[in-house]
Amino acid sequence: MSDELVRGAFYSVLIVTVVLTATAMALWFERKFAARLQTRLGPTMVGPSGLLQPVADLLKLLQKEDIVPERADRKIFNLVPLLAALAALGAAAVVPFSPSVVASDLDVGVLYVLAVGAVTVIPVFGAGWASNNKLALLGGMRAVAQSISYEVPLLLSAMVPVILSGSLRLGTIVQTQADHHWFIVWPFFIGVPAFGIFLLAMLAEANRIPFDIPEAESELVAGVTTEYTGMKFAIFLMAEYIHTIVASAVGAALFLGGWDGPFRPGLHWMVLKTFLLFASVYWIRWSLLRFRADQLMRLCWRYLVPAGVILVAAAAVWVVLP
Amino acid sequence: MKSYFATAARALATTFHNVFRKPVTVEFPTVIRPRAERYRSSFALLHEEDGDEACIGCLQCERICPSQVISIKAGGKRESPISRKKRGYADDFVLDLNACIYCELCVQVCPTDAIVMTREPELPAYGREDLVLTMAKLYANEKSKQRAWGDATRLNGMQVPPKPPAAAKAPAATPAASPSGAAASAPAAPAGPSPAAASGATKPNSPAPAPAAPAGPSPAAASGATKPSSPAPAAASAAPGPSAPAPAAGGAQPAPTSTPPASTVSGSTAPVAATTGPAGTTASSGTPSSGTAGASAAGPSSPAPAGGGASATPTSEPASPAPAAGAGSSTGKTGEGAS
Repeated sequence: MSDELVRGAFYSVLIVTVVLTATAMALWFERKFAARLQTRLGPTMVGPSGLLQPVADLLKLLQKEDIVPERADRKIFNLVPLLAALAALGAAAVVPFSPSVVASDLDVGVLYVLAVGAVTVIPVFGAGWASNNKLALLGGMRAVAQSISYEVPLLLSAMVPVILSGSLRLGTIVQTQADHHWFIVWPFFIGVPAFGIFLLAMLAEANRIPFDIPEAESELVAGVTTEYTGMKFAIFLMAEYIHTIVASAVGAALFLGGWDGPFRPGLHWMVLKTFLLFASVYWIRWSLLRFRADQLMRLCWRYLVPAGVILVAAAAVWVVLP
Repeated sequence: MKSYFATAARALATTFHNVFRKPVTVEFPTVIRPRAERYRSSFALLHEEDGDEACIGCLQCERICPSQVISIKAGGKRESPISRKKRGYADDFVLDLNACIYCELCVQVCPTDAIVMTREPELPAYGREDLVLTMAKLYANEKSKQRAWGDATRLNGMQVPPKPPAAAKAPAATPAASPSGAAASAPAAPAGPSPAAASGATKPNSPAPAPAAPAGPSPAAASGATKPSSPAPAAASAAPGPSAPAPAAGGAQPAPTSTPPASTVSGSTAPVAATTGPAGTTASSGTPSSGTAGASAAGPSSPAPAGGGASATPTSEPASPAPAAGAGSSTGKTGEGAS
């Protein structure tokens, strides 16, 4: 019992450290990658190839004045950035980076990830409400509407691998794919569309372009983060990155076979797949335009949800068939 | 929705393709792109070949500057320590780059090519006062900075329409028959017994008048009349513009008084020799007055020899339908030589 506790604590610290480091790298990677997508160079001055840019950004944000609006709800205003980061980080606990490297391989891992991921809605709305700013409040309400809507297709698409492998445990799901095929390869007619829905819903959950309506710069200044400055803003930003990284890792585990792959240790494959998914999120982000709010809702309820239901049914039939 | 996905796919393909292209960014401080041939940024004041300051303090650049960044203290005429001739000087010359719009008009009007722009690309400074170019800085720039493409001679030369190849050196009879297209503006002039008056009258308002005038009996006046107006854009502004038409209309007396810069220029050999174009035109702008007034006006001042020179040359000159800065300068030189 205590062994398991020690092991859990060790991996928790390890994973938090790794994820935070990865977040810093993600900041650099996004700037570099976005630049290359637009045939620019991106940061080049701070460190080799601008590698120290995240450090410089952090130092800059630390120097900024920490402003709390006069009529804001101070307690909530100060609390929610931490909550957002914690909720995003919490989901990382069950991600299986390799058969052994996992903080806690819960029996209900998939459920846990989706639940903790959905919790991020609360701090986001709290930030919008506590800011006492109409733009922040509008952003917060949009975020709630969007996240709750996309919770449904996300859940439905995540159910497909669960049904196919017969387990809610992420480790077992990956092991099933390692023993047979990745779900995106076989049955591809179920796996590929389910993966597509998962990717879209994940983008929407993470408030990423083309679904960044809650912080649409041209309409809402910066959405819920309008009133946030300095370190609190940085934490919000970090939460968003962590959310994207963890969601990429979960997507890789659910559909892309997780740690399964030839020649290299499982950890390498998992990191590679997560990275590729993460990169494609930014690829989409820097290529597409923003949806309108009603288009977003229509896409969700009229296309993704029915498609998800059909896929779940198809997966169930597939499993029952010999 | 369908069309959205098609567009989205194309957008994704475009950005994906971009990743494998070479970035277009030029990393400025370390890599500096080659400047265009006529790139210009700062200013410099020049010296003559003999070491005298080229600026004669005529204030034309100060007058034409649209943002009024040039302020000159004209020193008046005094004897040049080098050439021993009397000429104007600028006692102080300040150009404030803070408000400069880099239009280069000051360079274009300079009758002595004294002010030019430089190619030195970087202008940033730590304070506004660093961008105020004092006379000392301007003369220092002459040595330390690379000159831009244009000076007044060169820029004015560009405004001259290209010469037709034929008839440039033809005798007096031909020009009447073979002027360029501009001849239409003054068809009556050549036959007239006193073309001087006629062409003198047309001058102020017709942009390219009386190319045929030289055929008349008093070629001196005719050539004088054609010249100032035909190198039109440059000379009109470069010369003591407003004064030039006045003597033509008024007759004898205005000539010496109204054109001090002209006489100054023709009086000192140096600037004229060094800067053939505008100086020449300025000199020639002095001639019409003497021409219109006849020989009587020519007496008192330097325009007279210029007029005399013009009378010698017109046979060859007028044939060129658009006497350029070059043509004007040749007249000026001839006048110089005659004097």
